[in-house]
Amino acid sequence: MNCEEINLWLDTLLAEIEEIEVTRKSERRVRVDVPASSLPALLELLKGKASYVHLSAISCVDWPDDEEFELVYHCWSYEAKSLLSAHTRIPRNSAQEFAHYVSVYDIYKPAAFFERDIYEMYGIYFESSPYMEKFILTEWNGPPPMRKDFDAEQYVNDTFNWADYHPQWLQELEEDGGGIAVRPEDIRL
Amino acid sequence: MRPENYQLVALPNSDEYELFIGPNHPGIEGNYAFKLKLDGDRVISGKADAGYLHRGFEKLMEGRLWIQNLAIVPRICVPDPVPMEVVYSLTVEDIEKMEVPLRGQWIRVMQLELSRIASHLFTFGGHAATTGMYTPSYWGVADRDLALDLFEELTGGRVYHIYNIPGGVRRDIPNGFLDRLSDYLDYLETRQNDYDNLLFTNQVFVKRARNVGVINQEQALEWGVTGPNLRATGLAFDVRRDDPYLIYNELDFEIPTQTAGDCLARILVRRDELFQSVRILRQIIKHLPSVKGPVRAPIPNPLAWNVSMGESYCRVESSKGELAYYTVSDGGPKPYRVHVRGASSMHAVQVLENMAVGQRIEDIAQIMFSLDACPPEVDR
Amino acid sequence: MSKIGNIPVNAQAGKKRTNPLAGVFDELVQFCQSRSMFMLHYCTGCGAIELPPAMTSRFDMERLGIQPMVTPRQADILLVTGYVSVKTLKRVILTYEQMQSPKYVIGICSCTVNGGMYWQSYATAKVLNEYLPVDVYIAGCMPRPEAVIEGMRRLMRNIEEGKGHAWKDYFQRYDYYLGNQQHLFGDDWQTPTDIIGEARHYGLETEQTYGEHTRILEQHQQPLEPHKMRIKF
Ligand code: SF4
Repeated sequence: MNCEEINLWLDTLLAEIEEIEVTRKSERRVRVDVPASSLPALLELLKGKASYVHLSAISCVDWPDDEEFELVYHCWSYEAKSLLSAHTRIPRNSAQEFAHYVSVYDIYKPAAFFERDIYEMYGIYFESSPYMEKFILTEWNGPPPMRKDFDAEQYVNDTFNWADYHPQWLQELEEDGGGIAVRPEDIRL
Repeated sequence: MRPENYQLVALPNSDEYELFIGPNHPGIEGNYAFKLKLDGDRVISGKADAGYLHRGFEKLMEGRLWIQNLAIVPRICVPDPVPMEVVYSLTVEDIEKMEVPLRGQWIRVMQLELSRIASHLFTFGGHAATTGMYTPSYWGVADRDLALDLFEELTGGRVYHIYNIPGGVRRDIPNGFLDRLSDYLDYLETRQNDYDNLLFTNQVFVKRARNVGVINQEQALEWGVTGPNLRATGLAFDVRRDDPYLIYNELDFEIPTQTAGDCLARILVRRDELFQSVRILRQIIKHLPSVKGPVRAPIPNPLAWNVSMGESYCRVESSKGELAYYTVSDGGPKPYRVHVRGASSMHAVQVLENMAVGQRIEDIAQIMFSLDACPPEVDR
Repeated sequence: MSKIGNIPVNAQAGKKRTNPLAGVFDELVQFCQSRSMFMLHYCTGCGAIELPPAMTSRFDMERLGIQPMVTPRQADILLVTGYVSVKTLKRVILTYEQMQSPKYVIGICSCTVNGGMYWQSYATAKVLNEYLPVDVYIAGCMPRPEAVIEGMRRLMRNIEEGKGHAWKDYFQRYDYYLGNQQHLFGDDWQTPTDIIGEARHYGLETEQTYGEHTRILEQHQQPLEPHKMRIKF
């Protein structure tokens, strides 16, 4: 199969899925918007029939205003030489501890790493993903840190102290009535 | 209390035992740990333990201006920082639909290739040291240092350059820089023979590295292996050629491959790549003087720069593999979200865990270095 | 009281040494100590990348008598090369406590001084000398190999002049360090090393060795039991 055939093929394939929106951003970049329910089916088709065998990454974006998480699956085809980004949105479930989604580990093995990462950083639980334990943040018991409502700066100021820098030259200046002026908006509480 | 991860686990009535390698261990590349379950000296299973280098980059970047972030992106992969700056700039340019002037693109490619050389030299040394040969690590680090000197002249920084910005590069190359670069390349070529004799064709090394950590092409594709590690299994895929960015499609270079997929194949691919980079740099030295014009496109006041709304996924080929950034902008002064797909996030975790099974203890360090896994890319 | 030949080396507690040769002996010890140091470089952060050049042919740290060492128990210097994330900090402290005295800590990089460019980060500890006594800081992001070597020489000078005593501070003010560690890791933080016992052994306990934090530690500290080996032959 050459590139053009795959691209044609892709168009027919994508037509099979309901509520799908395809945007060709450039020659090698395709953006696809799908509802969460049909995303696994789409990936299955892409891998099985359109040679998109490489899952490059899964990115997660937090949209607290819409109460949604956006998941983006970037798949690359070695034959068609094009990168397809499948965007989908899932409810954020602020009230509960975790949002839920299904794992695509059985389609793409690399998904396990990204899903574990998203689970730690955003608290999205992927059902049937093989490694859903802590990996990077084993010593962390706060909320998932990458969520927009976690204020890292506040946390840092509450938890850590800052070293005092008060060298000789500054002391001399201060004795003469000078010193470092800090604008009110720059004061770290 | 001891940290939970380091409790000894008694496995009653069996000969199996656990061994922890790292986080502070000379056979581990950086601050990273690997837990092994062993029977005798055969590995039954391995488990990676990352997070020692976690700084929450993606969170940090959401709290800083677009231009401030340039200072922290190179820190994500320390031995090979230039691709980080370039790919971040590429995403911003893609969102802003900005065109980088040709001369800026050529200079970027020059840095990318120089950085690849530096990183590969570093890896040769590390890989050889895990097999007990320390001379290549002295040579590799010393030769890499000469590349760092060139970087210092070009950018002012030895390791972190912060030289690429969205729109191009900060300033033009200094006078006579290309001559010195050319001298360095001459020097590297004279060293080729020495390196071959010492390392790549040395039977002591070859016997140690052959048939260790084998992965075939099918498995490699399944597990998402990229970069030189994928090319060592026989698939000639390179982002530079197949998904070209900057001016790579105007350059003439080959994609070296090997078919064995073991540690030896991986280091040989890197060796060939290094000399391909030399070839690319030679073309740049020839062409760059004839490419006239500015080195960067004008950008708005960087301190009050609201990048327009949009998202972009850009990839480059770093010395470790495919490196990608997914950047989302909501039209504000700071990025809304930056996701870093580290080139070794697959290699250091899942691929390593799978490869370790059935190997002997002493080969684990070698496998890790041969994959050129970079822990800070995993942790971010 | 230990003796070398007929010369008493240590004075009894509370007494001044009278033997004039004792001072000479001290100087000799300090001189030798400062010239053969084994360092354990814990690659905690990005500053570690400048150590290979500093150690190998180009800058060659070995000419100063400084060599890398692979285990903490035989090392004299702990190099903390860069930011320490909380997860790493636990291991750094474990490593430090296993080292034999006299031991020295060098904090390389601005990140160990005051958080550096990661001051906003929720995952990194900011001021290293709250958790460990630091002898020398080498600031810079990242310090060049020359700076690293300069820092090493500063440490050597300090030792030679008899000023490198930060390790004693850890025993003398253990409560302070332990308190900061507990603040970060939780009250059940405990290491396998018996610092208080060691402090007693070296005769370095002061009032500040004990305090509320050591009392918390005592409440749940379990004596370590030797682990049964089960390897069959
Ligand atoms: S001071 Fe700079 S080089 Fe050193 S650890 Fe911090 S960021 Fe890295």
